[in-house]
Amino acid sequence: MRQAGAYSGLLCGGVSGRTGPHSLPLARIKKIMKNSGEDVKMISGEAPIIFSKACELFIEELTRRSWIMAIQGKRRTLHKEDLASAVIATDIFDFLITLVSSSESHAVGGATNVMEVETIDCS
Amino acid sequence: METGGFHGYRKLPNTTSGLKLSVSDMNMNMRQQQVASSDQNCSNHSAAGEENECTVREQDRFMPIANVIRIMRKILPPHAKISDDAKETIQECVSEYISFITGEANERCQREQRKTITAEDVLWAMSKLGFDDYIEPLTMYLHRYRELEGDRTSMRGEPLGKRTVEYATLATAFVPPPFHHHNGYFGAAMPMGTYVRETPPNAASSHHHHGISNAHEPNARSI
Repeated sequence: MRQAGAYSGLLCGGVSGRTGPHSLPLARIKKIMKNSGEDVKMISGEAPIIFSKACELFIEELTRRSWIMAIQGKRRTLHKEDLASAVIATDIFDFLITLVSSSESHAVGGATNVMEVETIDCS
Repeated sequence: METGGFHGYRKLPNTTSGLKLSVSDMNMNMRQQQVASSDQNCSNHSAAGEENECTVREQDRFMPIANVIRIMRKILPPHAKISDDAKETIQECVSEYISFITGEANERCQREQRKTITAEDVLWAMSKLGFDDYIEPLTMYLHRYRELEGDRTSMRGEPLGKRTVEYATLATAFVPPPFHHHNGYFGAAMPMGTYVRETPPNAASSHHHHGISNAHEPNARSI
């Protein structure tokens, strides 16, 4: 099943893991995967390659939604608050709420965040 | 000392200092999360940990900022600016995303008593965690990769992690998972299964011998 020329060009740029315009380093991805849990054992060579494209899609989506927040605020500079607003407004980004809100909500206080993220079943 | 469990990567950060700047708090929280899920030496009992020591390690925990910004620029209009705190935050979000998906994929591997996380496990985890829109472009990406690189590259990919995978394991890795569920992902898995059967692992082509090793170059440059 062949793809369109333009799409093929886009894919070729990143597929081989070379230093294409949008490639992400595979070794770094693999290291982050290994550090995600003590029980992560072996990782197939294709998994980081899938992640290099997946992270591109993730960054694009998060950037797009954050920029909408910045525009609504009549600003042309993307701030951390825009990222936080985009995360709060998007269901699939729930796992990031703690990360983006902890520095905002507890920049001064030392309160423990009691958000029940772990109990949410996303299936 | 706090020990990481199966869900260590999901543990909530506990802010230990109210005097730090917000950026420092975020970095500290990220370090504590990482400590909870791995045996790195960053101290999680001292709010004033060794900044220099942790800074070096943190570079390995995030995607290079230049690559991330380049992807963001593709989406933003030319006149848009990105603040430094937004750059740091999205770097952390990307690492969290990788850990989140990897954790789910790894749990599935353990349930099925497999040791190697495959591309299919990653795709399954994304679908389960709500990233259904990513499955189709990633599936096509994987097809194109296999056409261009052949199966040999994935075998050479393993030495990067100082692991050796037997051919039997690789053969297992390419077999589509059993279809116990009915959702979009497994529909997409069918073509992959068909493709893999047509190309035995041992018959891999080797047009791009250094496809994986070249991936080190951007890493070296960014550091």
